[in-house]
Amino acid sequence: MSQVSISGNVIAAHEQIVHFPKGQKPSLGANEWLIWSGSQDEGGLPDLEHGKSKVLVPFAWWRSHINSHHYESDVQSKASTGQIGVWFAADDDILKHVDVIEGGKTVWPLVAAHFPIFRDGRSFSTAALLRNHFQWTGEIRAIGDVLIDQLLQGARVGFDSFALRPDQNLDVALKQFDLFSVATQNSWRGPRATRASLSV
Amino acid sequence: MGSLIKQDLPWNVLPSYLTALLRVYNRFGRRDNLYKARIKILVKALGPQEFARQVEGEWLHIQNGDDNFTQAEWDRVAKHFTKPAYKSLPALSNEQVMNTAGDSEKAAFARWLERNVKPHQIPGYASVILSLKPHGTVAPGDATTAQMLAIADLADQYSFGELRATHEQNLVLADVEQARLYELWQEAKKQKVALPNVGLLTDIIACPGGDFCSLANAKSLPIAKAIQERFDDLDYLFDLGDISLNISGCINSCGHHHVGNIGVLGVDKDGEEWYQITLGGDQGNHAAIGKVIGPSFYADEIPDVMTNIINTYVEKRNENESFIATYNRLGVAPFKEVAYKNAKKKEKAEATQTAGDAS
Repeated sequence: MSQVSISGNVIAAHEQIVHFPKGQKPSLGANEWLIWSGSQDEGGLPDLEHGKSKVLVPFAWWRSHINSHHYESDVQSKASTGQIGVWFAADDDILKHVDVIEGGKTVWPLVAAHFPIFRDGRSFSTAALLRNHFQWTGEIRAIGDVLIDQLLQGARVGFDSFALRPDQNLDVALKQFDLFSVATQNSWRGPRATRASLSV
Repeated sequence: MGSLIKQDLPWNVLPSYLTALLRVYNRFGRRDNLYKARIKILVKALGPQEFARQVEGEWLHIQNGDDNFTQAEWDRVAKHFTKPAYKSLPALSNEQVMNTAGDSEKAAFARWLERNVKPHQIPGYASVILSLKPHGTVAPGDATTAQMLAIADLADQYSFGELRATHEQNLVLADVEQARLYELWQEAKKQKVALPNVGLLTDIIACPGGDFCSLANAKSLPIAKAIQERFDDLDYLFDLGDISLNISGCINSCGHHHVGNIGVLGVDKDGEEWYQITLGGDQGNHAAIGKVIGPSFYADEIPDVMTNIINTYVEKRNENESFIATYNRLGVAPFKEVAYKNAKKKEKAEATQTAGDAS
């Protein structure tokens, strides 16, 4: 396969990732993951450039290439070193692919859910289902049209890292998670505030 | 009018059930067309049964989760919903209440009791509606600062300091002692909020319309004013009985025109303000969406159209038959016929007819 033009097949993301692991403080880290948007042809993984060695592939691509437990060699080598993960498109119905996702649990160090546009909230449900139905305990990253306005809601349903849209302000982003000291609903991160927990 | 999705859901599992319901909507609702994004579109596309089945499937996984209400939480919240300190009072009959007024005022007081005072679950108390619908002088539901300050005082004096606003654009003092109704009536008259027209034709619900709202296609308030002036006769209004007349200045329907027995909807046609009439809408236990009777009218035609519709009701009604009951018995035909009998500019109106109902 000839060299794939990566720039045309990549979902743009901020160079810095906002990490917010459960029970910890939010922080910034380098973005090590290329988000490959997939290829129309029958080709395999793109050649990686730009110093990124890890790649998120579309879940649909993974399903069509990882059947019958036969991994292509480059996928296999990346998988063995934890350098390949999948991202779910907004219209991927993950409940229809339980076996693939259960199998992926041992392979993917990271999964992502994509926001095609900020007002499309389907990926919030994807994250919630990954936590509730699949007991996914690894990292879930929000990718795509991710604005700082979505960080708190994302963090509550199950996202713990965020590849913001490149124009977003990281300093402001880090301040989004403790805007509210009281929540009236339970979340993935913990129970809602009660009078007892507020010690009022 | 809605689709039945679930019956007999225990109160404590409401949070998890609603989470499941909203999750199904979020995942499968239309995203390609902003105008088809609402949940009702998804329910209709799938059918209520299939939608319910998908919700059940999702709920199965989360129905025992810790999102559900607990009895302890119910008890904690319930403590904040206390009842006022009602006195132990004898229940008064209508006659006893009436007799608190002097002979010269009895007739007027009786009218106010009939239309603006509602029964109460606690003996000796009544609920009072202050009418914000004086005929033709102010916009429906408007009150001045001075009026509101005075009404706040009335709430303090007569109703445990609580005042409620209704979607019919009136105010309610919900806990008034029957023995003090006459006294309150006197005070309400001073504030000009004692007109006994609650539920009558002039108790119009109207949105602010084109005079104040940038969304509006047409003005609402002059229509309300014109109708109130046309029907400014309490004897006649009492004879007509219960009729709801609701006016919206655009399809956003803030005036709830679609559930008025008579609905008026402002529409824009080539930059001109037109008004579409619906009949047969209703709220409450017999809720119904009104049906458009035909081509829309100019503003200055509306009072005559109303007169013709009302006259037809009076002519055709059986004894003690309300407007909506008469409409439901006869259908739209006789009302439609008279509404258009004098329609001027009829040809133009027909040329710009809009089809469909008001929903």
